[in-house]
Amino acid sequence: MTLAYSFKSAFQSLCREKWINILSMLTVASSLLIITLTAFFLYNVELVASHLPDRFSLVAYLNDNISQEEIQGIVDTLKRRDDIAALKYISKDDAIKELKQTLKDTRYILEGLNENPLSSSIEIRLKRDFVTSASAKRISEEIKKVSGIDDVYYGEKVAEAIYLLKKSLQNMSIIIFITISTGVVFVAYSTVKILFYRRKEEIEIIKLLGATKGFIRMPFLIEGGTIGFFGGILGIIGALLFYLAITYRLSMVIPMLKTLVFPLEILILLPITGIALGIVGSVIAIGRLKL
Amino acid sequence: MIAFQNVSKYYEHQGVLKNITFSVQKGEMAFLTGPSGAGKSTLLKLMYLAEWPDEGDIVIEDFHLQSLKPPEIPLLRRSIGVVFQDFKLINNLTVFDNVAMALRIKGVGEKEIKNLVSVALKKVHLRHLSDSYPRSLSGGEQQRVVIARAIVTEPLVLLADEPTGNLDPNTSIDIIKLFEEINLQGTTILIATHNRELFRNTGRRVLKLDGGNLVGEEVG
Repeated sequence: MTLAYSFKSAFQSLCREKWINILSMLTVASSLLIITLTAFFLYNVELVASHLPDRFSLVAYLNDNISQEEIQGIVDTLKRRDDIAALKYISKDDAIKELKQTLKDTRYILEGLNENPLSSSIEIRLKRDFVTSASAKRISEEIKKVSGIDDVYYGEKVAEAIYLLKKSLQNMSIIIFITISTGVVFVAYSTVKILFYRRKEEIEIIKLLGATKGFIRMPFLIEGGTIGFFGGILGIIGALLFYLAITYRLSMVIPMLKTLVFPLEILILLPITGIALGIVGSVIAIGRLKL
Repeated sequence: MIAFQNVSKYYEHQGVLKNITFSVQKGEMAFLTGPSGAGKSTLLKLMYLAEWPDEGDIVIEDFHLQSLKPPEIPLLRRSIGVVFQDFKLINNLTVFDNVAMALRIKGVGEKEIKNLVSVALKKVHLRHLSDSYPRSLSGGEQQRVVIARAIVTEPLVLLADEPTGNLDPNTSIDIIKLFEEINLQGTTILIATHNRELFRNTGRRVLKLDGGNLVGEEVG
């Protein structure tokens, strides 16, 4: 019964002070929209970045005049490692064919060569978690020790870039989330503080009638949560409008935008985040009550 | 039951209540009288802890105020019905909701609230004004709303601070009769008033306060 009264009281207050509440909801919505757009951007960048490790590979060059049995032995040794996702053997002949195909119009460079100067090699793709500069270096050094392998090449800078890109994206999203969340908490705090002071006299009266701290606090927590919830809903509407605008309108100019994905989890997460931040702001605003 | 034992209260080192000792028995109805500034309102405020005593001990029914823990304060206040001198009505709530507030705080169900508030408003002859807001009522009507709010919870103790201050003589007598009816049901009542007409010929005990001292008692 007390909870029902708290909800009624909160909604009466939300209607009574509608302008300040609408303003707060719009401010919260704008803040949450920034979070959503950041999440939307990062989600898509992460989606693209997540395919990069698949394209990263090490190349183990084999000694000349290596027998077929020895090659099979090397492949078996490498397959036993738990950091390798896939292997591909490239013979000397395949390597020169591939080079010729790559050079196309400038293949005359290779004319005059009496023999194939390329080595046979094994292309190694690492598991995602091992695509870091440090791991690639360690693995390449270990592989180099395998008998029959002459040298190992890997794109150190590529590995480093992939790793840094992932890390920076994570850090950036954390910083943006914390900053904007603090802003949302502050908006809820200010609004509830104003509402609290406007009802100070009423609160003093109900204290004298025997109200508990919980009875006094509950309507304000509900108000803060409601502001956050509707802020979240408005944020979703804003984000969807933005998504539709870029996928339908802007994609005519930049076709790549058509491939952007809207993370559906946001539809649930945003109102929940709004409620949580609104309640946190309210708790801080009411502070310690003295009976 | 109300019991004061050597209770003193100071404001900026000035004693507004000095070494007060008295008791009002369970089920008794008594008056507290004295001139303005005698300390009547302060004495009542000490009982529902709007003010805290600086010395001495106060017992209200089962509550020993000296050793009361903060979470117990709401329980004490719910056991006491208070008719405040300055009404303390919530202006954005209707008469019905103002009276119902005391019950909602206790967690009473809405259906029961409807019946209890209706009965309380009938007792103070205000049922027809239940949808009105306090600001649209006269001083006397507001005072009766406060009385309805104080009695609706059927408290163990009823404290009234100048409960007839804004009422005409006839209505004042009606209110005292109402208090007597409530007292018949076993509620302990203490009424603070400077109006001697209220307790004349009532046969009730009258405690006399002057300059913060309890200077004696008489039978009205």
